[in-house]
Amino acid sequence: MSTGRRRTRALVGAAVVAVAALTLQGCAVVDGSGDDPDTLRVMMAADTTYPKERKQWQQETAAEFKRTTGADIQWETYSSPQEELTAIQTSVISGQGPDVYAIGTTFTPTAYATGAFVEMGSDQWRAVGGKDQFDAASLGISGPSASKQIGIPFASRPFVMAVNTELLAQAGITELPTTWDALTADADATTRDGHFGMAVAYADGFDPWKFVWGMAENAGNTIVDGSKAEISADAVENAYRTYFDWVTKDGVVDPAAIGWNNAQALAQFADGKAAFFPMTTTTSLNTLKGSAVDGKYQYALLPTVPPRATERPADGIEAASILSGDNLVVADYGTKQDLSFDFVQQVSSPAAQERYFELFGQLPTNTEAAQTIARENPDLAPIVQAGKLSKPTAFTGAWSDIQLSLVDVVVQSIPSLKSGEVTDDQLRKRLAAAQRDAQATLDRQKNGGL
Amino acid sequence: MTQVQTRAPRDAQRPPREVRPHGRTPLYRRERPLWMLLPGGVLMLVVIVVPLLVGVYIAMLDLDQYTLRQWFSAPFVGLANFVEAFTDSPLLHSVWISVSLSVLVTAATVPIGVAAAISTQNRFPGRGLVRSVYLVPYVLPAFVVGTFFRTMLQPQGVVNTVFGTDVLWLNGSASYWALAGVMVWTSWPFVYLLSLAGLQAVDGEVHEAAALDGVTWWAKLRYIVFPYLRGPLSLAVIISILHNINNFTLPFVLFGIPLPSSVEVMPVLTYIASFQSFRFGLSAAMAICSLVIVAIPLFVYLRAVKLDTGDDAGPTRKQRRADLATLAAPAAADIEGARA
Amino acid sequence: MSAHGTPFAGTTRTRPTATLTESITAPGRRPGRRPYDTDVTRLLPRWLLVLVIAVITAFIAAPVLYILFGSVNSDVAVARGEYFPSEFTLANYVAIWDTVALGQGLVNSLLTAGAVAVASATLAVSTAYVLVRFRFLGRLTMLRGLLALQSVPGTLLLLPVFVVFANIASATGVQVIGTRWGLFVTYLTFALPFSTWVMVTYLRGLPKELEEAARIDGASSGRILRSVVLPLSWPGIVVSAIFAFLLGWNDVLFSTIMTTPNTRTVAVVLQVLGTAQEGGAVPIYGQMMAASIVCAVPVVALYLVFQRYLVGGLTAGSVK
Repeated sequence: MSTGRRRTRALVGAAVVAVAALTLQGCAVVDGSGDDPDTLRVMMAADTTYPKERKQWQQETAAEFKRTTGADIQWETYSSPQEELTAIQTSVISGQGPDVYAIGTTFTPTAYATGAFVEMGSDQWRAVGGKDQFDAASLGISGPSASKQIGIPFASRPFVMAVNTELLAQAGITELPTTWDALTADADATTRDGHFGMAVAYADGFDPWKFVWGMAENAGNTIVDGSKAEISADAVENAYRTYFDWVTKDGVVDPAAIGWNNAQALAQFADGKAAFFPMTTTTSLNTLKGSAVDGKYQYALLPTVPPRATERPADGIEAASILSGDNLVVADYGTKQDLSFDFVQQVSSPAAQERYFELFGQLPTNTEAAQTIARENPDLAPIVQAGKLSKPTAFTGAWSDIQLSLVDVVVQSIPSLKSGEVTDDQLRKRLAAAQRDAQATLDRQKNGGL
Repeated sequence: MTQVQTRAPRDAQRPPREVRPHGRTPLYRRERPLWMLLPGGVLMLVVIVVPLLVGVYIAMLDLDQYTLRQWFSAPFVGLANFVEAFTDSPLLHSVWISVSLSVLVTAATVPIGVAAAISTQNRFPGRGLVRSVYLVPYVLPAFVVGTFFRTMLQPQGVVNTVFGTDVLWLNGSASYWALAGVMVWTSWPFVYLLSLAGLQAVDGEVHEAAALDGVTWWAKLRYIVFPYLRGPLSLAVIISILHNINNFTLPFVLFGIPLPSSVEVMPVLTYIASFQSFRFGLSAAMAICSLVIVAIPLFVYLRAVKLDTGDDAGPTRKQRRADLATLAAPAAADIEGARA
Repeated sequence: MSAHGTPFAGTTRTRPTATLTESITAPGRRPGRRPYDTDVTRLLPRWLLVLVIAVITAFIAAPVLYILFGSVNSDVAVARGEYFPSEFTLANYVAIWDTVALGQGLVNSLLTAGAVAVASATLAVSTAYVLVRFRFLGRLTMLRGLLALQSVPGTLLLLPVFVVFANIASATGVQVIGTRWGLFVTYLTFALPFSTWVMVTYLRGLPKELEEAARIDGASSGRILRSVVLPLSWPGIVVSAIFAFLLGWNDVLFSTIMTTPNTRTVAVVLQVLGTAQEGGAVPIYGQMMAASIVCAVPVVALYLVFQRYLVGGLTAGSVK
């Protein structure tokens, strides 16, 4: 039994050591600094595109913060929108979590609906350095109205189009398209010799609804009007029709793209195999640097005239992009609101915003900083313009569901796309289903849907 | 049974080498160390049972992002969520998909796992390495597996290129089979591990007897070895089905949300209801409904296989000897004749 | 020789000597036995053995090779859908340690998952021992209940567990969320039902004579558990420890909400590597795949070490 006893002893010994180590560590380190009044917990998106720069920025910011307030910063990250939402839910339900969040603009309505974030009244705006330091357009999705806002604009990442200047020159195109129809025509002209006109990702979880939203806005349809959903409408139907026809009728998109996500479409563009790559931000720069199209591409505004039209209708909205970027929100459940406002003030200053642009290429929301950047970087003019022409999505707690319904129409259509056609009948049926679901969600919203 | 002080009388009383059928073995009634149940019991109570009860309570609330903050005082709606889950949501459809998928996948993994266990039972150079390589699909994190299979299953991806097909794997009706295939790929090592442990119990003497009696490898496997695996396989099957029903990450990463309708599995559905639509009450109700729907066949299975009471002990030694004898009777006669 | 012919049966009656299957095949073991070296425990003929191993290995290899190739390829090439690498770079294996706190994640995971494995196996043995060897009111209910707990989906428990822990923290002042031991306790509890069941099935097959003999000698239950049952149940212990370890190693749902940057496990760190920003650059596939390989290595290495306990060390036929 000697081996057995030795083994047993080893097992028990290991167990004791392991549990002891864990317990001691748990006791010794105050890990949950949710209660530490001298540490501010800040939650932002994980950055794998610029990891070194991110670390550098965090160190600089924390050092400056310590110098002015004497407090430390604990940086926490989420790696996907789902994780972002989970983090918000768990913090809200338990009343403990990060003190400041940098959330995506499209999630601000959800955050508002929880009521767990500080509403920025005049005192609060003063504490962060004043509301008017921010670009008016960037405040568009801070809250349901100008008097009820929770989001402080932090960074701007408008959506633009990347164009392959070489392929365009080869096709003899000298002017960039400003209407969706012109874009389709230009894409057609550049589709040849194994090149495609457009790189579009039909199976992406986010891209499709942005196209539809953009085209519908240009035609005057904002998807949600007050508390009514407007999905079963001509403008939306035209949008989907155009979107689907690119791959089925016009043949300007690679048929394989019906299974792609955004990264794969970007890869096609980066290989120089597509002339236009709509629905991207300047962060894609990192991939395009050193790729086959390096030096042969530029960013341009997305079209602002709806399909099947040559100019925008009277009620059309000149929306070149969704209002995209990050908002800072301060948690209401925490006890460190003053410290949080200090942090927000620090990162909203012109110098800090310019530094952020320097490191990550994201546009500032501070007006002064934005003007400086625009002046010093003339080649960024289309991006700056896109930022100015960004319009917010509907501010309603139902938006997350509505977005899902819009994408679902595409997901359900993918088999039809593969077999070559999405009939009007199918499309209308799916739009009707999406309309039903969206309206049901809107009806369910409390507080009048914000 | 009382503690006896001397040894000899006891030995004399007990009949030698009595084969007692299972289930009637006397269990001691005195000195039951029930305190050993305490640590595990307390843990499970605090970390599983209490949250489960909280979950049941949440299922009876109208909990969404508006009421999340003061969740305890959210409006009480009784069974409304359950009714909606049953009648107005894709729950029943998704339960059907989840269950059928798991049963299919488990059925496919059993032969692979058992074959793998049998193939590494005997020593050969490099056996440790092969055994460890077998574990790799199970070790890889689900989201990594999902990501690379998603790329491989693209319309012009590796799978279609190698097999010369042009099937849409990630959407439409083929997606069900794609998901089944990927789940089989990642989960067969589970059955393999349990079978491996079970195989360790095979008597050495039985091997010798079988060899002496000249039994073929297939007959030996079938009549001698496989009965040893009945216990571990019964457990492996039920646990594997449960794991696959509740598998969230793989379908989520493979297909993203929203899911194509043919792979609308239950865990992703409850996740969407909870973290996308923010209807926590409904999501909890859905999860509980599916739990109940799954628990019923589970208990039927338990009784059928007698896994809970342990009466499924498999053949006794005497029975196995008898099996062996009937199998090897002609061969044995020859050997006996040759020896004589 | 009366061994109870039951699954998971161990037939050792006396002290288990260093018993490995080859002791059976030692030549000259039995009088009258021909001294050729055929291993009578062989289950499959050699050709079939090679075939089975080859097929299964190929089945595993194709996707795993994809990960290997992807980890040395460029990110754009992987996004393009390549299988065989068009470029070759080992930079990813270097970059992963800086891009995310992979080293710290590995340490956290090894500690947590390791502790879970050990604790889970230990608790499982003692719990299973009581459930199998003793009769008491509620025994069957407990067995069935364990299996029922196994079927509770993680997504149902996510928010409630968080709520319960947060309430414990505010009631007792002891922080649970964000600590390593909080995660340890959660994983341990999730691993227990299955570990216990594995040991239950295993212990049922162990013959009771040894334990009865020990009890006659006056040993307490604890002693019997330690000295008689434990040494005999190594295969079951190893298997339940492996599963508990993998639970702690790979779980994402609970570790993302219950860890802080310091206590992050490797599963959370890997998620970060899979981040894709909307409309942003291509995700760093190469680093994600390199990290997956790096994360799989410790588990496979541990298994390589412990799988030697998964042998029929009990079937020497040395029972007299």
